[in-house]
Amino acid sequence: MRAVPLPRFLSSVELAYLNVVNHLLAFPIIPVMVAVLLQVLELGPDELIAHWSSLGIDTIHALCTIFTVVVVATAYFMSRPRPVYLVDHACFRPPRSFRVPFATFFEHASLVPFFDEKSVRFQVRFLESSGLGEETCLPLANRYIPPCPSMEAACAEARLVIFSAIDELIAKTDLKPRDVDILVVNCSLFSPTPSLSAMIVNKYKMRSNIMSFNLSGMGCSAGLISIDLARSLLQAHPNSYALVVSTEIITPNFYAGNERSMLLPNCLFRMGAAAVLLSNSRREEDRAKYRLLHVVRTHEGADDRAYRCVYEEEDGEGNSGINLSKELTTVTGEALRANITAVGPLVLPVTEQLRFLASLVARRLLGARGGKPYIPDFKRAFDHLCIHAGGRAVIDELQRSLGLPAALVEASRMTLHRFGNTSSSSLWYELAYIEAKSRMRRGDRVWMIGFGSGFKCNSAVWRCLRAPKAPVDGPWSDCIHRYPVHVPEMVKLL
Amino acid sequence: MDLLWTISTILLLCSLLSILWKGFDRRRNRSCYLLDFVCYKPSDDRKLSSELCSDIIVRNKRLSVPDYKFLLKVVVNSGISEDTYGPRSIIEGREECPTHDDCVDEVDDCMYRTLDELFLRTSISPIDVDVLVVNVSMFAPSPSLTSRIVNRYRMREDVKNFSLAGMGCSASPIAIDLVNNIFKTRKRTLAVVVTSESIAPNWYYGTDKSMMLGNCLFRSGGCSFMLTNDPSLKHRAKMSLKCLVRAHIGANDDAYSCAIQKEDDEGRVGFHLSKSLPKAAVRAFAENLQRLAPKVLPVGELALYVLRGFRHRLWRSKEAKTDAATAAMVNFKSGVDHFCLHTGGAAVIDAVGRALGLTKYDVEPARMTLHRWGNTSASSLWYVLGYMEAKKRLRRKDRVLMLSFGAGFKCNSCLWEVLRDLNDGGAWEDCIRAYPPQTLVNPFMEKFGWVKEA
Repeated sequence: MRAVPLPRFLSSVELAYLNVVNHLLAFPIIPVMVAVLLQVLELGPDELIAHWSSLGIDTIHALCTIFTVVVVATAYFMSRPRPVYLVDHACFRPPRSFRVPFATFFEHASLVPFFDEKSVRFQVRFLESSGLGEETCLPLANRYIPPCPSMEAACAEARLVIFSAIDELIAKTDLKPRDVDILVVNCSLFSPTPSLSAMIVNKYKMRSNIMSFNLSGMGCSAGLISIDLARSLLQAHPNSYALVVSTEIITPNFYAGNERSMLLPNCLFRMGAAAVLLSNSRREEDRAKYRLLHVVRTHEGADDRAYRCVYEEEDGEGNSGINLSKELTTVTGEALRANITAVGPLVLPVTEQLRFLASLVARRLLGARGGKPYIPDFKRAFDHLCIHAGGRAVIDELQRSLGLPAALVEASRMTLHRFGNTSSSSLWYELAYIEAKSRMRRGDRVWMIGFGSGFKCNSAVWRCLRAPKAPVDGPWSDCIHRYPVHVPEMVKLL
Repeated sequence: MDLLWTISTILLLCSLLSILWKGFDRRRNRSCYLLDFVCYKPSDDRKLSSELCSDIIVRNKRLSVPDYKFLLKVVVNSGISEDTYGPRSIIEGREECPTHDDCVDEVDDCMYRTLDELFLRTSISPIDVDVLVVNVSMFAPSPSLTSRIVNRYRMREDVKNFSLAGMGCSASPIAIDLVNNIFKTRKRTLAVVVTSESIAPNWYYGTDKSMMLGNCLFRSGGCSFMLTNDPSLKHRAKMSLKCLVRAHIGANDDAYSCAIQKEDDEGRVGFHLSKSLPKAAVRAFAENLQRLAPKVLPVGELALYVLRGFRHRLWRSKEAKTDAATAAMVNFKSGVDHFCLHTGGAAVIDAVGRALGLTKYDVEPARMTLHRWGNTSASSLWYVLGYMEAKKRLRRKDRVLMLSFGAGFKCNSCLWEVLRDLNDGGAWEDCIRAYPPQTLVNPFMEKFGWVKEA
């Protein structure tokens, strides 16, 4: 007999309740300790010594107690999970020759034989309000008329984007490839055999006992899934280095048909890749940029509507493409709500949690009369936000539903404008933007939110340990002075 | 003060107990138990006889007569029987243009059938699954195959799912490694792993001989298995994982490119198997055994190995010391009772058997699996295990070694200890009595025997 899943309400109440209860134990202890301290402070030093002697504790006894306390404390601290540090990250910097300005996109779409006029106009109309700029990049194969998506071209694109990102990471961190213990690669829409992880092991001559994993088909939120996997592996292996590579290979995924809902990825997806070095080695504590605090994954696949909203299929003519349903923004909002219910108790201050809990209970008991749903003020928990640059509509929806000011979504909007939707690596471009703008300070908390097919919503929370020194070398080096730009609602092309 | 002494003694004892408990608890968490496994048995209308294989080969009009002969030779000598299975799209003539639905249906049939049975047999509900891993090397649709399973079985929101792709025929131990590492960080976790391969979208219809071998050897198959680190489920578990070793020699260019998916001269994508594959396999094998041996062999055998090594070096230094010879100096049967070898082909099984010093009895499960199921890629190890179980060979405290090779080039192995006497028939239920058959020779040898002379 199949068990019925816990309703979300109950599980969120349970989470909030548990968190409050954990802190509740602190409430009576603190006043007691303060009272004792006040009492002790009132006594003079002679009286203190007299009290101490009257207890009759001899040296051996005191030593044993101290020894026990030290041993227990050491065992406790050693048994806690080792912190996971982000040493540094690097993104692929597309050469200017790969640019696809709107005019190029329009011209190519008009010249390829398989788009009818309606499809061309639809794609260009979409591009007008997409939030993309004129510097986003497509790989060489897509620039042929018609595009020639061969496997060789896909492998060439993979080598270009991935190796560039890793080379830059090696230069930044002095990483020796033979020191890499864990390698996790994610690329959703291209998975040759041997895998991309094997391609990296081959290129950089990595060790034979490397723990390598290649994730595929996991969508735009796969970057955080790879981080989650790397974290689990690091927790199981002390003193290790993990290299995480996130990318999406555009070459094999050009849609050559006329189904509107499947044309959107042609307009949105652009080249990109990111390489991230994680470690749990104590040596890296001195130079690591961030520390990973939490990773929370939510999978809405049990709901058919969510499952089908980003779906690979063939159109009536047999052309393969990704179908983005009209309900994408609604599903995104729902998935986000499910995810923040899990993230909230981990990051929000207690007062915000209590208010959220009270609002939840009121609405459940009193229905609509219980008042509007209380949206926790996440600005109090985070200093920076990196929302997957899936598209303008997605960013707008998130800004609205979380009540975020424009400044917090600026990194996402500008990344969408400059680089387009680079899928799982977009979060790293956004982080690079915040660093390039010199907004990152030590102690700042960063919330990364990724969405993807399935439908998944994944979050990662980082704390900045070391703010990067300006000028920051990264994918924004040559253009950060121009940003932020005003992204108009519509750019008139037709 | 007596009270103080009592309190501090109690504190001391409590802290010592808690340290001991933490250590013991962590050791318990390190366990990885195999609750059950279910191998995929496709429907009989998908059987690929040699005659049907021949028809399919002949449908490719680009091939010349010598090409036909070569392929028929491979099919006839492969050690594969008339009862292996192929994808429906190929049997129905759509091998050159399978639809997306064909590919998805092929994998869905395997995943859902095996998972339905797995959940039934273990009486565990899909809602209780914490970790889900799927590995299918050559097909990765969006949403991922793990999402398809989450949707079908209405799994929890917080299920940790991982979809591995491109990891070749040795992906089973990789998936187990992934789950095992997660087990070290979480208590009382339940994981489901599905391993299969997709043949429908990967049929090669060109003329490059090195790419045609895959068509002849790969067959439909798959397996779903359930793992847990929950000690309370140990009494229901079949086996316990003892160690796992992964060796990746992709740093060597020849090894990396010896089994690789690429386009032929005419732009058709196929899986190229080069002549340097056996050499890469030997190197990866030796690399793996070097790290596996100390974990698996008893101390006495290791000491003997060291002594033999010295003797070899002192008195036979003129002989070329091959990796295979080194392997043969170690008697793996002193630490392992059963060997699940990847059914890459008859030659591969025989070569590995010789290197490990195995008898006909030891390689029988692998040879019979190749005969009955063909090369089912990453899931082949599970069919071999199923044979041993159906033949009632697996007894409590027996040690089983799984060994596989795959593109990259990788050699992965894992050692299990059997926890109780096992006797499920599984996918072999209806045919185990006929095994081992009198002869492994292809019955169409008479009809196609002329290819051997040609």
